Amino acid sequence: MTDVTEDFTTGVGNSRPDADTRGHVPGDSSMWFFVVGDLIIFGVYFVVYMYFRGQNHELFLHSQARLSLDVGAVNTVMLLSSSLFVALGTVAARAGNSAEALRRFWTALAFGAAFPLLKMFEWIPEISAGLTPGTNLFFMFYYVMTGMHLCHVALGLVIMCFVIRNLKTSQPPKISFVETGATYWHMVDVLWLVLFALLYLMR
Amino acid sequence: MTSLIGNPLTIVWALVTTVTLASWLVARDGGASHQINTTVTLVVLLIAAVKAQLVIWHFMEVRRAPLWLKATTSAWVVGLFALLLGFYFAGL
Repeated sequence: MTDVTEDFTTGVGNSRPDADTRGHVPGDSSMWFFVVGDLIIFGVYFVVYMYFRGQNHELFLHSQARLSLDVGAVNTVMLLSSSLFVALGTVAARAGNSAEALRRFWTALAFGAAFPLLKMFEWIPEISAGLTPGTNLFFMFYYVMTGMHLCHVALGLVIMCFVIRNLKTSQPPKISFVETGATYWHMVDVLWLVLFALLYLMR
Repeated sequence: MTSLIGNPLTIVWALVTTVTLASWLVARDGGASHQINTTVTLVVLLIAAVKAQLVIWHFMEVRRAPLWLKATTSAWVVGLFALLLGFYFAGL
């Protein structure tokens, strides 16, 4: 896996030697403590969800059938695409190419902003159809977990705006801040990948 | 301007997006009846584990991070999905 991806962090055509980023913690170390803590907290939610699902498969399966699998899949692609442009923007910023980094982060912001919009198209018909957190245990988990995740998305979008401001106004931009914002955004992506599998896909 | 085509990060994105679409089709067709289906569950959870690891490894740049960070994040992925599959099969 490593050979074909040798220049992942330095990017194609960048001059920074590959070895410079080896053994490097991307961004602020304190953000990593937050990220790992958040991954563990969400992980506990995911396992508890699976435990209760095992107590009542029928209820969870029939409730899952009411969700929009297609919107969930499109939203997954939106977050993955947003993450790609954040990663590309981080590489460009590190290479000293602020203009390219800005373009990448604006694109990432557009893909990321599509997520809450699509979520509204998903939630509003569901709530209108009477599917609320009080409907049953599945929908309680569904709204709490996707709601908590949506709060993370909203915070991530705000952080991305600050990264864009940093790229616009600071010369040179603070790379550590760019990496810290990127790390947070990718965590939001990772959490959604698990949520998508648990809530929409598994049977 | 760094090219998107052929960029290793784009290749990871294409791979992860392709398997997302694959798991979408598996759930849509194989899981259409909304009955317990261990094959569909196994496939979509393993795909999710691989996707999570790829995003952490490449987009989050953990592949270049110190060993403690590689170990912590990999342990999260492996531990989480082992528990999820364990509870799923224990609940059948």
